[in-house]
Amino acid sequence: MSAMSSSPWVLLIMAIAVTYLWRGLGTMIAARIDPESRFLQWIACVAYGLLAALISRIVFLPVGILEKTLLIDRLGATAFGFAMFFAFKKHIGLGTLSAAGALMLLVWARGEGIF
Amino acid sequence: MRDGFSLPAFMVAASMLGYGAMVHSAGMSLPIAIVSTLGIWGMPGQVAFIEYVLLGAPVVSMMIGISLANMRFLPMSLSFAPLFRGSKSGWRWRYLWVQFMSVNTWVGLMRRVPELTPDQRAPFYAGFSTICLVAGAAGVTIGFLMAETLPFFVTVTLVFLNPIYFAFVFAAMRVRACLLAFAAGAVAGPLIYLLTPEWSLPISGIVAGSVGYYADQLLKRVRV
Repeated sequence: MSAMSSSPWVLLIMAIAVTYLWRGLGTMIAARIDPESRFLQWIACVAYGLLAALISRIVFLPVGILEKTLLIDRLGATAFGFAMFFAFKKHIGLGTLSAAGALMLLVWARGEGIF
Repeated sequence: MRDGFSLPAFMVAASMLGYGAMVHSAGMSLPIAIVSTLGIWGMPGQVAFIEYVLLGAPVVSMMIGISLANMRFLPMSLSFAPLFRGSKSGWRWRYLWVQFMSVNTWVGLMRRVPELTPDQRAPFYAGFSTICLVAGAAGVTIGFLMAETLPFFVTVTLVFLNPIYFAFVFAAMRVRACLLAFAAGAVAGPLIYLLTPEWSLPISGIVAGSVGYYADQLLKRVRV
C-alpha cells in the first residue's frame, strides 16, 4: 500500500498517533527510567542522525517546490549561512536568515535573468 | 514574564509560515496544514509527513520515518513529566501537557523551572503553550494563504526556512555524540536516498545515530 493511494487524512491521523506514542511512552516510564541511560543517549543520536539526513536530502535532492531551484544555489546559500553562523559564535538566527536571504536573492536574480 | 513569551511564539509563527507555504506547494489543503501542525506539533515530523505524502512511499516506511523523526520526544518527555510531580492538578493532566511539548515549549519551561514552584508550573506552562499553539496555527494559515499570492522566490525561501533553521539549531548543540550523529546523517542522508528513496529516513537515522554514538564512545576511551 503506497501513501498516495490512501487519503491524506487517514495518513495524518496515523502520523499524529505515532508521534503521541513517544510523548505518552516517555510520560508513562518517566518515573522508572534513568534519563542518563545509554539506551536513551543512543535514541537521541538516532533522532539527530535522521533529522540531519532529512535536511541534507532536502538540500541535495529536494521533492516539491524546491526542486525548481538549482543545486548550486541551495548549496551556496547553505554554505553562506554556515559561514555566518560560525563567524558570529554559532548564532542560529543569523545563520538561518543569511542562508534564507542568500537563497531568496539567488532565486530572484535568476528569475530576473541577472545570471 | 510576558516578554519571555514573545520570542518563542515568534519563532513558532515564523517557522510555521514556511510550513504553511510548504503544504500549499505540495497541493494539500489548509485544514490538513492546520491539523497536522497542532496534531503532530513538531516541525521535523510535519516536514517528514508532507515529504512522505509527496513521495508516495509505503505506509509502513512513512510511519517508521515519522515516528523516528519524532523520537526525540521520548527523552524530552522523560525529563519533562517529573516537573509536574509536586502539584496534584499538574500531575493528573501530564498526558495532555506532553502533547503541547515542542522543542520551543520544552526549553521555555526548563528555563523557568528554577523560579516556579511545582504548583505554578502547570498554569505557566498551559498559558505559554496556548500562546505558542495560537501563534503556530496563525503562522501556518498565513503561510498557506500567502503562498498563493507571493512570487516564486519568496515562497521557495519560506519552504527552505524550516529545514535550514533546524540545521543551525542542531549545529549549535554542545553534546558531541549528537553532533557526530548529525554530521554522519548529513553525509548518509542523500547517499542512502539514492539507494532506497522510500526507506532512506529510518535507515539513515539508525546508521548515523549508531555511528555518532559509538564514535563518541570511542573518542571517550581514547582520551582516558
